[in-house]
Amino acid sequence: MGKKMLAAAMGLAAALGLTTVSASAFDDALYPDLKGQWRRISPPGQPAFDPSKPRGWAQEAPLTEEYKKVFEENLRDLAAGGEGLWPGYSCRPPGMPPMMTAYEPMEFVILPKVTFIMIDHIHESHRRIHTDGRDWPKEIEPAYAGYTIGRWVDTDGDGKLDTLEAETRHIKGRRAYDATGLPLHSDNKTVVKERIYLDKANRNILRNEVTVIDNALTRPWIVTKSYSRAPEQYPFWREYLCSENNNHVAIGKESYFLSADGFLMPAKKGQQPPDLRHFEPQR
Amino acid sequence: MTLRLRRPAQAIGLSLALLAATLVATTTARAHDEAKYPDWSGVWRGTGGNKWPTPAPLTAEYQKIFEANLRDQEAGGHGDTPTVNCLPPGMPRQMNVYEPLQIVITPEMVHMLMEHVHDSRRIYTDGRPFPKDMEPMFAGYSIGKWEDTDGDGRFDTLVVETRGLKGPRTYDSTGIPMHKNNQTVVKERITLDKTKPDLMHNEITTIDDALTKPWTITKTYRRDAKSKEPYWWREAVCAENNPHITIGDEVYMLSADGQLMPTRKDQPPPKLDYFQQPKQHSQR
Repeated sequence: MGKKMLAAAMGLAAALGLTTVSASAFDDALYPDLKGQWRRISPPGQPAFDPSKPRGWAQEAPLTEEYKKVFEENLRDLAAGGEGLWPGYSCRPPGMPPMMTAYEPMEFVILPKVTFIMIDHIHESHRRIHTDGRDWPKEIEPAYAGYTIGRWVDTDGDGKLDTLEAETRHIKGRRAYDATGLPLHSDNKTVVKERIYLDKANRNILRNEVTVIDNALTRPWIVTKSYSRAPEQYPFWREYLCSENNNHVAIGKESYFLSADGFLMPAKKGQQPPDLRHFEPQR
Repeated sequence: MTLRLRRPAQAIGLSLALLAATLVATTTARAHDEAKYPDWSGVWRGTGGNKWPTPAPLTAEYQKIFEANLRDQEAGGHGDTPTVNCLPPGMPRQMNVYEPLQIVITPEMVHMLMEHVHDSRRIYTDGRPFPKDMEPMFAGYSIGKWEDTDGDGRFDTLVVETRGLKGPRTYDSTGIPMHKNNQTVVKERITLDKTKPDLMHNEITTIDDALTKPWTITKTYRRDAKSKEPYWWREAVCAENNPHITIGDEVYMLSADGQLMPTRKDQPPPKLDYFQQPKQHSQR
């Protein structure tokens, strides 16, 4: 009787197991728990691309001589009141790799064929990291976020995927590493490789080893970014609207400011006003 | 290995333990049973145009605002539509689905991803209440719940309520206005067509103080037949090629060669009081 009951129970359990396997196409226990809101870990103030070093030259970015000059010129423009090379002043997205600085909080959604990274900063970006084994498209429209192919790896052999390896190509410019205007090459041939994983000792810390391969660099530049998981039960996802209160106005190749009372202002000393030839002469 | 059981009670106990262990294992191994949810995968596009049906049941006060907006548009202006400045359309207008829509369902949340002007949404389905203090947003704060309306054991309808909205918002580009108090409440019932699963219907009810009664319309989206293929989701960056420039209360255009242009006849140019005026050449 006992054997019969055991067999029946095992049969029931097996049937239940089969049912649940066929019913659940996505076994998310295979993946690390990246749920929640992730905020960058970096010193206070405007973040640098490498959070372990101060901004500007102290980043020690391995720039070529040509791009050191580009950076210098950008710094002179910034000092004169210009916008330099950072695209964010005119509400253009930072793109890859600076978007992974996480100027605003990040969310990960892991599905079997794609991992989303959502960041609402300047542009409401949804990075799609395709993990379905696809190859690079033959023809592709460049995007600030680029096109990313990734794969999940079980690095410690425990049967659970723990590291997302991603490679991003087809990135569009103009881009800079951070708001100081530290430049990437204008040929936009940048390749970004990432390894994203939870800290082994603290599962509320996420690491991202970012390797940038770019023709403005003398060698690949490797930086590790870290993020902490928000402790709130229901973290707030702010709507970040660059256009809403942006006081930078680009007209042609010139950039101006808007005053608090809505007047156009020069951004640089001695800057010429915009050409108003298309307007009727005012009496 | 042979398992010997001396008493039926042992067998029963072991059987139950095995069953329980299996249940626990299967439950923890699959936090997300996607077979419970409808198949909303793929690429969804709006159908039937982006205009809302007319006439809108506007109050007399907001009918006048709408008409003034139409006159402005007729004169070459942009009326009250906020999107010319790269501000989002907000709810419910964003559900016109101006750019392709991808829907990502997790147990806690439904993401509606649209590359347009900040049109994406989070719809919380984790049972949370509306926050007491909500920072208003164009997309608002959306709470949803899944319903199994036909009792087949699978969710088929997402019922959503959105509050905490910010303005200015209009229903479409004609500028049909919503009340400036931004107390709008939007209720949605989103479901697949029962006979054509590549059609999705969104019954949208807007409750707004600019309306004489709740306004219910249905938007329909069509699943792209190419959705089975790897798809290139175009990046739409409004600020990149926006030819509209707002200076003070005036909206101007940029010409192809980057010059400032009026948008309507006799529009005054921006004042240049903050610029150094060119020196006057003396007449000899």
